[in-house]
Amino acid sequence: MVRDLERLGEALHQARAGLLPELENFYLWLVAECDRLQRDVTQNLHDLALGQPTILPDVLSNTQVINRQLNLFNRYFLSPVLRADAEDCLCLRLLNWLHAQHASTSHLPVALNDGDFASWPYPDFPTIYFMPPSAQRRLLYLPLFFHEFGHLLYACHKPEMDDLILALQENLARYLAAGTQRNDLHAQKEQEHRNAIIQTWFDWGQEIFCDAVGFVIGGPAFANAFSFYFRVRGREQYHSKPEELLGSTHPVTWLRIRLIADRARRMGFADLADELESSWQTIADGLNVREDYYGLYDAALLPVVQQTIDDMLTEASPRPFEESEVGSAASAPLTSSPILLVNQAWEHFLNDPESYSAWEITATNLWMETTRPSQSGEG
Amino acid sequence: MSVQWLSVQSFQHSQDVLSAINALSIHLKLAAAGVSDEARGEQARQARATLAAFLEELEPVVTETERGGATPVVGANPRLRQLASSFVKAKHNSYRFHSELFRATPSRLKQLLASSNVEDRAALLDCLAELRVLMEEHVQTDTERVLGEF
Repeated sequence: MVRDLERLGEALHQARAGLLPELENFYLWLVAECDRLQRDVTQNLHDLALGQPTILPDVLSNTQVINRQLNLFNRYFLSPVLRADAEDCLCLRLLNWLHAQHASTSHLPVALNDGDFASWPYPDFPTIYFMPPSAQRRLLYLPLFFHEFGHLLYACHKPEMDDLILALQENLARYLAAGTQRNDLHAQKEQEHRNAIIQTWFDWGQEIFCDAVGFVIGGPAFANAFSFYFRVRGREQYHSKPEELLGSTHPVTWLRIRLIADRARRMGFADLADELESSWQTIADGLNVREDYYGLYDAALLPVVQQTIDDMLTEASPRPFEESEVGSAASAPLTSSPILLVNQAWEHFLNDPESYSAWEITATNLWMETTRPSQSGEG
Repeated sequence: MSVQWLSVQSFQHSQDVLSAINALSIHLKLAAAGVSDEARGEQARQARATLAAFLEELEPVVTETERGGATPVVGANPRLRQLASSFVKAKHNSYRFHSELFRATPSRLKQLLASSNVEDRAALLDCLAELRVLMEEHVQTDTERVLGEF
């Protein structure tokens, strides 16, 4: 393990020369963390040398903790630095900007890795964001990071968020229990089924909150990115069997579209909401899928769900898009905010897909020039 | 949109709890053996706080789990619910788990953590050793999900 850590330190040292400025904070954290692991190993060896048999199980467990942490580093934390190239700057600048907008995340470095859209939102760690390589050099799917950022906001405000979801679960319990009066074996099975629904909503609530964060930050660009990314992925985006729904961590995507559309409508984007719902309905009809959530959701729950999400948004306070960054603001001057850029991208893509690729290159280069770290002081 | 964030959070949380258990356990054992361990004093104090916060989070979920399906377990993610379920099962397995932690409730360990009585040291060490077994079994699932199997 000592030699592994030394090798890790050497790899980091060699990577220093070509380091992207956007990864500076992550790199400094990585070096400090590598030092900490080395100190932990040294302490462990010191403890072992004390010759106290009673502490051997503790030393062994510590060795395993350090070993797992080292594996984690080797697997996920080192590659964002070693694999980085100039093409990562677009994503990294957007992510650095996003973290800088929020007091609870401004101290957390960011890193980018390959993979399906995901993140590692742990408030004591830098946040690693994952994105498919095919999407990394394009503007259209960048807004999906805003959903991932929602997970980080949740983690940073966890006690309050957990309480709000707990209150939602209690509301659901009252709603589901209404009208049940039997007291036999069947009633017991019904109760277990209701319990499973209520427990499932703990994770669903967080995902729906993250979708709402995505829309509040990114506006129409987020809704379009979300819809286009998922709508032709397959039947499972529209329908799941009841046994798959119970205990699932994500609601069926069609339900998430319904809730994003509802939020869009309430925020003054009725046309966008109609378009979202209609395009998903059209594809669902083509797949011959009927909308059914098997008792895990019905329209009567919408007010209590959205009220909970509203309260969570108030608590987490994501930076909302500005009017000048969305809709008809295509002529607004480019700023360091990427929200205008991604909304312009979707406007252009939807209105003139033929010329989009050329426009995207020009717009990206211009934004990169505008946000060059030495000029903006971006961290 | 991947669910891996849940495994990563659970993995890291378990790692933090295990580090705290080990630091405090070594500190207490060295003190009992009369070996000076002043350098770890602050780490041991932080470990007590980390473990108390962890038990604070775990206890209500354990209480709800013990009701056995009469009511839903609310306010907890699936990994915390699984940990609480493992805790309840451990309480019924007196062959493997017999410390005061598993004979009473997580509150008992909180009391022991807050105690400065030397007489409580042995009971505290027993609780820490068995809590570590539970946590090592729990982190195994997250490790497989996050790091994969070889």
